[in-house]
Amino acid sequence: MGLPLSAIAMLIFGSVILYGGLAYFLYKAFRREKNR
Amino acid sequence: MAAIGSAVGLGNVWRFPYVCYENGGGAFLIPYFVALFTAGIPLMILEFSVGHWARNAPPKAFKKIGRKWEWAGWWAVLVPFVIALYYVVVMAWCFSYMIYSLDLRWGSQADVFFKNFLGDTGTPEVFGSISIPVVLGLIVIWLCVFIILYKGVHRIGKIVAITVPIPTILLIILTIRGLTLPGAIEGISYYLTPNFSRLTDVNVWLAAYAQVFFSLGVAQGIMITYASFLKKKSDITNNAFIISLADAGTSFLAGFTVFSVVGYLAASQGVGVTELGIGGPTLTFITYPTAISLLPVAASFFGMIFYVALLTFGIDSAFSMVEPMVSGLHGKWKITKAKATGIMCIIGFFISLVFASGSGLHWLDIVDHFIANFGLVMIGLVECLILGWMYTLSKLREHANETSEIQIGRWWDYLIKYVIPFVLFLLLAIAIIDNIINPYLGYPWWVIVLGGVTPCLAIFLLSFVFMKIKKHTEAT
Repeated sequence: MGLPLSAIAMLIFGSVILYGGLAYFLYKAFRREKNR
Repeated sequence: MAAIGSAVGLGNVWRFPYVCYENGGGAFLIPYFVALFTAGIPLMILEFSVGHWARNAPPKAFKKIGRKWEWAGWWAVLVPFVIALYYVVVMAWCFSYMIYSLDLRWGSQADVFFKNFLGDTGTPEVFGSISIPVVLGLIVIWLCVFIILYKGVHRIGKIVAITVPIPTILLIILTIRGLTLPGAIEGISYYLTPNFSRLTDVNVWLAAYAQVFFSLGVAQGIMITYASFLKKKSDITNNAFIISLADAGTSFLAGFTVFSVVGYLAASQGVGVTELGIGGPTLTFITYPTAISLLPVAASFFGMIFYVALLTFGIDSAFSMVEPMVSGLHGKWKITKAKATGIMCIIGFFISLVFASGSGLHWLDIVDHFIANFGLVMIGLVECLILGWMYTLSKLREHANETSEIQIGRWWDYLIKYVIPFVLFLLLAIAIIDNIINPYLGYPWWVIVLGGVTPCLAIFLLSFVFMKIKKHTEAT
């Protein structure tokens, strides 16, 4: 049995929002630190 | 990294998976994400702004807003202290499991082993005997909390900053192992598939908001205290987003570890994922040991490292729960931090012994249910009302924007003033009525009153007592 489509959608949504978002804000923080 | 370390704790790897399991798996994730973005992150920005602006622990910070609001600050520091009382018990379990990992003592029946380890009486009505391994763990953990707070949070913060990646890497290793087990896909399917019919259950929504508050450390005075130590030019908004997303990301990952093993256990017993007969605070103490035992190589080594990692995950959260109370006592009565820390740790140790008894698991579950679901959510509501309506909220927004790259708009004001209070009030009102009609887990009323209502009321009354004592001193 594979994952239902709605579960895959939740997986992608959660991953993109949480880990993508975290990567974005960490990048901003490092850039700010570098420019200081 | 230190900021992430302060937020990520057992709330992510221990509490999130079982709350998610109890509230329908995928059915819980939608309210969880809604709560994170509509209340968790905006409140995190709010608390960071207050702490950074006031440069004080919550009681003094709220006093700066208005003298009559000091009680709200005390309320916010008393709640995490009560949470710390049972949080350290979970850490004591981890401490024992760290030692048990050496010979994988839980064997093939982790659920039976855990109940024997606690000397579980199966009900809160029979007290049972005190578990010696748990008491030993409690002594070690409270001693660690004392030493860390006594020596100074800043120095230990650097060590924690280095140890943060280790638990995450181990969690990834266990997740990979879990996902390769037979039946894991069933567990993951339960974890991720949204069940829209559960979205009408107000208790699921309340649990989601409570979990976000518990895990992020908002509505507990922790973030106000933490922000008061931040440098003047620290980026408030960016810090708030990093902490919130790292915290939620860890919870999301822990969900995969636990639910893959839940799927495996269900498949091996030939039952459905919801019919396993396990759940509540014990869930992760059954699933993680099972996953560790099933590692193909060096299971003992990884097991020990994993529980060490859990302890490092938990210890910074544990002392951050006691720190606001210590700072509050130090700030108001000028009690030295060492003395205040000693007093709180000794009181904490003796009260937490209740949770080390044979019925401790059940009392822990009851206190956690009421303190998190009602206490934290109520503080979140009061915080929004005081800071949104009794103070010029735009000043706090401007303060955050002054140091932040990302500028917050007026939408944030509307969220704090209208949306969050309305949602939290509605959830609380409906859930209180629901809990009166259907007592939690069908427990007798004296159990609910003793374990749920009494701590909530005691904290509320104590916050006023703490505020009034100062007035008496001033008058004399």
